[in-house]
Amino acid sequence: MPVYDRGYTHWQPSEGKSLPAWLIITGRGVIEPLKRRWLLLLILMAWVPAIVKGGIIYFKLKAGNLTDLLGGGWSSIGPDGFLSFLEGQRFFVFALLAIVGAGLIAADRRDNGLSLYFSRPLSLIDYLGGKAGIVLFFYCLVTLLPVWVLCLLAYLIAPGATGLEMLLVIPLRATVYCLLSGTSIALVLLAFSSLGKRSIFVMVWWAIMITGTEAVAAIGEGLGSHSLQALNFLGQYHNLGSVVFGTPARLDVSLFVSLAMVLGWTVLAVWVLRRQVRPVEVVS
Amino acid sequence: MDGTVTKVNPATAPRDARIRVSSLTFAYARRPVLQDVSFGLESGAIGLLGPNGSGKTTLLRCLLGQVPLPAGKVEVAGLDMASQARRARARLGWMPERGGVIPGMSGVGLVAYLGELSGLPSRDAMQRAHEVLHYVGLADERYRKCEDYSQGMKQRLKLAQALVHDPAWLFLDEPTSGLDPRGRVAILELIRDLAWNKGLGVILSTHLLADVESVCREILVLREGRLLARQDVDGNAREPRQVFEVEGFGDEDAFAAGLQRLEAQVTHQNRLWLVTLDLDRLGHPEKDEQGGYRAEVGTGAILEIAAETGFALRRLRRRPVTLAEEFYHLVEG
Repeated sequence: MPVYDRGYTHWQPSEGKSLPAWLIITGRGVIEPLKRRWLLLLILMAWVPAIVKGGIIYFKLKAGNLTDLLGGGWSSIGPDGFLSFLEGQRFFVFALLAIVGAGLIAADRRDNGLSLYFSRPLSLIDYLGGKAGIVLFFYCLVTLLPVWVLCLLAYLIAPGATGLEMLLVIPLRATVYCLLSGTSIALVLLAFSSLGKRSIFVMVWWAIMITGTEAVAAIGEGLGSHSLQALNFLGQYHNLGSVVFGTPARLDVSLFVSLAMVLGWTVLAVWVLRRQVRPVEVVS
Repeated sequence: MDGTVTKVNPATAPRDARIRVSSLTFAYARRPVLQDVSFGLESGAIGLLGPNGSGKTTLLRCLLGQVPLPAGKVEVAGLDMASQARRARARLGWMPERGGVIPGMSGVGLVAYLGELSGLPSRDAMQRAHEVLHYVGLADERYRKCEDYSQGMKQRLKLAQALVHDPAWLFLDEPTSGLDPRGRVAILELIRDLAWNKGLGVILSTHLLADVESVCREILVLREGRLLARQDVDGNAREPRQVFEVEGFGDEDAFAAGLQRLEAQVTHQNRLWLVTLDLDRLGHPEKDEQGGYRAEVGTGAILEIAAETGFALRRLRRRPVTLAEEFYHLVEG
């Protein structure tokens, strides 16, 4: 019988299995932005540094110039080189996450979407996990994924020279770093998103958080004060990244201070999210 | 609109879909919104009435388990909403008054997405989305972006998303809000069909009494957070004191004296006599299946008096008490 002749029918469950709620939210949240061409262009641009680095690795390995590659610097294939690469991606991280993440909760608050979500068999953790998954996906798309590809490229070109380091150690370090930093960054961005109902305001606050704190740290550095570096939002993650990658610290800030800062705003973000993400808005 | 195929899902078939609310008290920021509300519902269409701010929407949110329940108990389908709200919500459909569509998604995409979040496998969710969108009359518009929908289409879409997982109960918050008369009738027809023909329980929260009259069999009336009354929509038929409209000509004094023998109260509106009778005083009046008094009990007695006194009747009928009159009587005391 054609579907339009049947009227309302009760649901007959099939054999198929349903996915976890957070994964459904992440899946939908990832697919929708990827339909925008200019966002794809931005992602492509974010891969340009990786392509350049890949080219350098290719030519140096082909030329047998392994000593150069194992040294420090952005183009090297040592841990320092990959951490520098991740640092260099910060503009794309900022821009991409601002575009994708600013409206994730703000739009739901504006359109009463939270009420819809929480009329389903869904917990707060499912909802936030799903939204954080979207941010984490795009974060890893321009950080972790290029590192994996570059490591694989280096290994395929010169398996003997690069060995286990390229196949396992660096990818593992990058994975740990990107997942930890990405989760924290995602929670902070979602907390900003939950504070407003308009994406543009969230973007402004996000810009202040990323570029503003970096500018303040730079001004402090120019004036000879290193203590202001503790305010540099992304800088703290890179500083802690030096522990994961086993390289010298990136800032003149104690690692404990960096850890305290990162933990501090992550906990603050979770507190804000618990307060703000509710199906009902309480107006006192 | 009536479906001829009825597939019954054992997971959501009627079984035990009762709602039990006992001594529910709730406050927003120390402002009491619901106070000691208790009732039980089996199924069918129930109207939730009350003035603005009386706690209708909050009561629905308590039934959905969207707010913590500090005092009292709410059970839906045998599940305690304080501890098992997530499980219970798989059997509940919610149509919010405000917002309720996610911009950027097509109609079918939104409904399928929310179906998946309700626990349907992906393929089932998509199939159900198409079915319910056909049912609510959005078949041709289902691939359009939600934000491009008209108000009437958005209301239908919200109804579709509430239906996609085949809930046992539908909670509808002002479903006809912002609709033109034609759109309003269409939505009410759908709701009526679901409640009366498809076996879904419906709680319709609204301040439009006509909507309730056209869909519901029973009403719950809230005022200032308290459950003021619970009664059938045609509850006036159950009251022994009823008003009859009489118009005629002849010996008015004799007719009036005859009515006095029935202990009737008589008032006049121009040429119309409003005769209030206590039907219990007329012996053992016959009642209908729902326990309501048959109108013939009163009209028969008046006819006898008219025949005795030679008063020629031009009009004689029981005066229908509208839900509006009943509502204002309840709410305003």
